[in-house]
Amino acid sequence: MAIAVELRHISKRFPGVIANKDVSIKVESGSVHALIGENGAGKSTVMKILYGMQRPDSGEILVNGTTVHFKKPADSIEAGIGMVHQHFMLADNFTVLENIVLGYEPSRGGVIDFNAARVKINEMAAAYGLTVDPDALVEDLGVGQRQRVEILKVLYRGAKILIFDEPTAVLVPQEVDELFAALQGLRKDGLTVIFITHKLDEVLRVADDVTVIRAGSTVAEVKASEVSAKKLAELMVGSELPSPEIHGSAKRSDIALELSQLTVPAESGARNLVSDVSFTLHAGEVLGIAGVEGNGQSELIEAILGLRNYTGTVIFKGEPLDDESVSERRDMGIGFIPEDRQRQALLMSSPLWENRILGHQRGKPVMNGALIDRKATMADTIRIMQEFDVRAPGPDTLALALSGGNQQKFIVGREMSGSPSLLLASHPTRGVDVGAQAAIWNELRAAREKGMAIVLISADLEELIGLSDRLIVMLRGSVTAELDPAKTTPESLGSAMTGAA
Amino acid sequence: MLEKGKLSGMRRTIIIFFGIIAILSVIRIATGASDLTSVGTAHAALLLSVPIVLAALGGLFAERAGVVNIGLEGMMIMGAWAGGFMGSKHGPWVGLLAAIFFGAVGALVHAIATITFGVDHVVSGVAINIIAAGLVRYISTILAQGGSWPGPSQSPDVEPIGQNGLPILSGGKYFGWQSPDILNSIGEKNWFLISDISRVLRGLTGELSYVTMIAVALVPLSYFILWKTSFGLRLRSTGESPIAAESLGVNVYVMKYWGVLVSGGFAGLGGGFLAIVAANHYQENQIGGRGYIGLAAMLFGNWRPGGLLAGSALFGFADALQLRDSAAIHALLLLIIAFLLFASWRSFRKGQKVATIVAIALAGFFAWFFIAFDELPGQLVTMTPYLATLIVLSLASQRLRGPAAAGLPYRRGGLK
Repeated sequence: MAIAVELRHISKRFPGVIANKDVSIKVESGSVHALIGENGAGKSTVMKILYGMQRPDSGEILVNGTTVHFKKPADSIEAGIGMVHQHFMLADNFTVLENIVLGYEPSRGGVIDFNAARVKINEMAAAYGLTVDPDALVEDLGVGQRQRVEILKVLYRGAKILIFDEPTAVLVPQEVDELFAALQGLRKDGLTVIFITHKLDEVLRVADDVTVIRAGSTVAEVKASEVSAKKLAELMVGSELPSPEIHGSAKRSDIALELSQLTVPAESGARNLVSDVSFTLHAGEVLGIAGVEGNGQSELIEAILGLRNYTGTVIFKGEPLDDESVSERRDMGIGFIPEDRQRQALLMSSPLWENRILGHQRGKPVMNGALIDRKATMADTIRIMQEFDVRAPGPDTLALALSGGNQQKFIVGREMSGSPSLLLASHPTRGVDVGAQAAIWNELRAAREKGMAIVLISADLEELIGLSDRLIVMLRGSVTAELDPAKTTPESLGSAMTGAA
Repeated sequence: MLEKGKLSGMRRTIIIFFGIIAILSVIRIATGASDLTSVGTAHAALLLSVPIVLAALGGLFAERAGVVNIGLEGMMIMGAWAGGFMGSKHGPWVGLLAAIFFGAVGALVHAIATITFGVDHVVSGVAINIIAAGLVRYISTILAQGGSWPGPSQSPDVEPIGQNGLPILSGGKYFGWQSPDILNSIGEKNWFLISDISRVLRGLTGELSYVTMIAVALVPLSYFILWKTSFGLRLRSTGESPIAAESLGVNVYVMKYWGVLVSGGFAGLGGGFLAIVAANHYQENQIGGRGYIGLAAMLFGNWRPGGLLAGSALFGFADALQLRDSAAIHALLLLIIAFLLFASWRSFRKGQKVATIVAIALAGFFAWFFIAFDELPGQLVTMTPYLATLIVLSLASQRLRGPAAAGLPYRRGGLK
């Protein structure tokens, strides 16, 4: 087989960090090649180098046997390489059509021929099962559809080599199936797919070959058919794969949280975002909320914290919260791990110790009267870093210098400071690597044993099933099912989430 | 706003336009303030709107490319000055070209500061406004001392630019043939509404400077460029999501420079218009905050050419009224009251308590004012255009959506 892409001994350093030390990859054309490694191992960096967004410090890149030197993405697009980014690169206020043709417009004398583009997009969409309305605004689309737009964008440019950066991180199982079906279609048409992930079951399902990267270096190249998930995990982290599990019941008699008929109205008079949700949560209990993203889970959690207007009642440890502000609710003992850590939980360009203050700015240990107690804050930040294994040079490190996993561990540590009685955890391990994931699971388990009540949302169904004492399923804002995690599989939960069951 | 989706944009605009004239006609009859729908008012409103439209278009191009351009005022000052300087030497058309060029030079400074060096957009813009005012005063003083200018705050006169009207309808003149002036004849008949409409249309289409025609044509042209061409799509993408644009091979820096330079060109033309068409020489303080008003018109117009045109027209109309006839301003209060009541009813239906109360309170205040005073004090009359624009636009446009990345610094390779 011909080699579509070959990377030889790529290295790249950023100020203070070595992202790639020695990465070599060989991708056969017409194959699906998985690139796996923990977060921070340098997978994304090496792909950005291949795509021309970064330039390597040393090493060689060959595309179809020819050495290339990409200076910008336009060069790699020219060479037939396309990238489907993990964080979608889409302009929300543009239509699907505008997003797809941007930079590659079919035009006559500068005037865009939108009709020709629409025809071409519909043809491609039909060929690979990637249907999406070309005239819809991107902001109105769900995650799965946005990803289709990203893929169409790349295909539209005639890419023969497609890079997917953690494409399944935000998808539900059914969407993952559709994506993988599309990938098989692409491969059949002779296109080459490079697939970055840290989910090993997916690698075995979809990939032909696997390259494993650890700490910036290639550590193994194997055939997917000749390797097990366990073996890949060992190659990736050098240890066994942890799994989310809780043992026995830690449930106490006292009720931590009681919701009755909680309803969050939509802003524009459309269907309620959350309608009529009631449940009781005991101390020491984990309630998992399953649902395809955008079905009201996030809004529900935000309402409990007081971030959204709602009707109905929320009772926390016997006290009604409905007239309390967000800060009062937090002070009463509610911790919150938001779904988008960079936007909702951190000041990216501030040091960790300042980030430690967020949400706790009204009391000890960070405050001393009306003034910030810098020394105590520093000390407590160091405590979090040690207890939660946050790998960073020190409390003065800027939040943006940390990898996603370390940022998340820091947030979990901060939110558990002061031992809240209730933790609202939204995707607590999204986008973090296996090691950090296991650490966060351990912390959640330990807190549960100590009597913390947890409301958990996660797109990782195994995590949701493994960590929850009880599961409820939300669809279009309502609770449609209550399941026993012990008797639930990811597949059956996935069907319940889409309303198929 | 009317129900969306039921009417096409064009038809809706036409219905709103005639609806407003109908309301004005009623108020005219009720109060006897004939200037509300006179030819002169409509004509003056158009003339006063043009510089604001141009400033707003300038703001549009910059903000759509993600650069906040609060320096429009300064760029207009430079344009007006250049219009007076070059126009008085080489004729009005050269003056206008110089105005565009000087506006673009001011914009180049803004572009270098904000795009290349990442200076805060507002800081850079304010600096340009201050520097522009000081710079032109300095050069004007030297020119006045040398005797070529009548004074440090005024340029020599510029020749006027030709004008024309629509054939048949508005008495234009073509190749020596004087066409009839149908709209004017109907306007003089004083038929209710029909004559009112004719007078307004006559004011908008008769005896227009060629520059006014060009300026008005620039509104649809800007829409076409920004929404129908590759250039426009790329320019808007840099204001919406520069990282996405970069990942697709768009040269974000180049597009942003274009946006800001075009912005300065428009602002400069707006300044030149004030010096050459609205007046016949450059005068210090001629701009008088129109750059800021243009920016406001663009914001309220939801970063769209049609919207900014409506915002500018509203200001131009109120300004024309206060200049021509302060009694008409008094009558205009009725229109504002009607509008406030409509707005309060609308927000009441949407369940927005605060907005409802504010609108009713304001309506009550103006009603009291209307009854208590037969004539408004002069200062208040001068203030009316600003006040009316502010009230109407802030209540009319509640769901604004600007470019997502406007005002944010951009660095190549921003996503690590």
